[in-house]
Amino acid sequence: MVGTFVFVALFAPLIAPYDPLHQDLSLLNGGCCPGPSAEHLFGVDPLGRDLFSRVVYGARYSLLIGVVSVAVGLSIGLLIGAVAGYAGGWVDSVLMRLMDIMLSIPGLLLAIGIVAALGPGLVQIMIAVGVTQIPIFARLLRGSILSTKETDYILAARSIGIRGRVILSSHVIPNSISPVIVQGTLALATAIIDVAGLGFLGLGPQDPSTPEWGTMLTDTTRYLQTAPFLALIPGAAIVISVLGFNLIGDGLREALDPRFRGRA
Amino acid sequence: MAERDALLSVEDLRVEFWTSRGTIHAVNGITFDIAPGETLGIVGESGCGKSVTALALMGILPRAGRVTTGSALFGDRDLIQLSDKEMRDIRGREIAMIFQDPMTSLNPVLTIGRQIREALETHFDMSKREAEDRAAELIDRVGIPSAHQRLRDYPHQFSGGMRQRAMIAMALACKPKVLIADEPTTALDVTIQAQILNLLRELVAEENAALIMITHDLGVVAGMCERVHVMYAGMFMETGTTRQLFARPRHPYTLGLLQSIPRLDAARKTRLHPIEGAPRDMLRPPAACPFQPRCRFEVEASSQEVPPLEEIERGHKVACFNPVPEDEWQNLRKQAVAP
Repeated sequence: MVGTFVFVALFAPLIAPYDPLHQDLSLLNGGCCPGPSAEHLFGVDPLGRDLFSRVVYGARYSLLIGVVSVAVGLSIGLLIGAVAGYAGGWVDSVLMRLMDIMLSIPGLLLAIGIVAALGPGLVQIMIAVGVTQIPIFARLLRGSILSTKETDYILAARSIGIRGRVILSSHVIPNSISPVIVQGTLALATAIIDVAGLGFLGLGPQDPSTPEWGTMLTDTTRYLQTAPFLALIPGAAIVISVLGFNLIGDGLREALDPRFRGRA
Repeated sequence: MAERDALLSVEDLRVEFWTSRGTIHAVNGITFDIAPGETLGIVGESGCGKSVTALALMGILPRAGRVTTGSALFGDRDLIQLSDKEMRDIRGREIAMIFQDPMTSLNPVLTIGRQIREALETHFDMSKREAEDRAAELIDRVGIPSAHQRLRDYPHQFSGGMRQRAMIAMALACKPKVLIADEPTTALDVTIQAQILNLLRELVAEENAALIMITHDLGVVAGMCERVHVMYAGMFMETGTTRQLFARPRHPYTLGLLQSIPRLDAARKTRLHPIEGAPRDMLRPPAACPFQPRCRFEVEASSQEVPPLEEIERGHKVACFNPVPEDEWQNLRKQAVAP
């Protein structure tokens, strides 16, 4: 599912039969809006654009925004988590209370706040969604590091005189990272939803013609009764991609456990 | 015991742990030394401070633990005073440790080979290739067949006995002068135990290394060690040669330990004699004989001051105001043996 999603995103120009921005108002002559047909697989939107092409191009935006925002959240979150988990003491307390404060604000609300502060737009959305993910990753890695730090093999590694930094990078982190990677793919799904949500609220890309799934949903609310497919199709695209990333997360969880390695 | 130059001599070592419930006095002033080629046993029940002693010597106590007093002279260096960095050079290189549970003491995400190589690459300027060859040599030496292939395996592909062999290979990688084995056979089944002990004995003889065996198993001590220290509540209760301790235990605790072992030559339906009571609460510093509440030989002085460790025969020391009579154990044994 995710494979299809990524493939569609990468090769959007080859797959899409029409330019997603091209308006052909003559198609609307029979009233709004023509449903799916042979020429227009998913039908045509109120501005005469091919919906199939727009959904295909939308995959690009969703993937881009998802990946970038998760990357932002992951990198900062990992850094904070690793420092907090390994240093311990007051450093840990300060960082974690900060994360608690961030976590106590609902993610979407925080994102809206950040977008409000930065102004709407694609980059701003990515930053906003990324920032809301930071505490999740930080907590996860910290917890994971704390439990790994206490294991016998870390003690054993210390007992053969390995340097602290090397222990952290080659023993502690590899053993702590797998829940984070799993969380990362799950976060990608959340990020796509959040972005669609922000888009729906009108905080998405400012150019209304941008084929972003969330924005597409907003544009079509007025036509829900006459042409429900306009909302259903981008909605289904969101559901399918989110589901796909969730499944990949579950799959990774098993694949990353070395006990399952080489047995498949 | 022939007088040999001590390789490591520990003097009045004390370790405390700071916890939310108060200070735990884990090790309360122990003194011992060990010579090259010698095997020294430290026995005692769970929680008596055996493992903490080992961790303190290695300088890898948990954050809450502190060595409060004492010294551990290794050559002309005091392990307790060394900086973290100096200590790191000694760990693994000069003093190595084998851990209790081979199932959890190997890193599950790294190959066995990588883990053995790590010690070599840390302490010697070995290339990956050289380290790999040396690791294969080691794996072969500890009795794991087809060494080169097995180096690429992950710990979960090894059985318990093989993991312990791999742990031993890791510990021996840099030919340390002192090897501390913290209950190396406790987690293994009996047939594997014998193999591992044999292996350790051979390797120690080969390298002329000093081995400190930490265990609660008197059978292991009897088979491996030349001298034994019986530990209770962070103190040595009795020390002596293995022969002395097993023939003439003088401390009531040692006697209790010996009585609690099942014997093959005992009359049928003879009951084992557990040591009554629970180990001492370690939150208070010792002010009296720590074993006094559980002791049937206690005298008035036992509850008033800490008995000093005094020599009662050459090489045999007991910390007790009222040592067990010399022939007590032999008599008890005769009673127990089937007529």
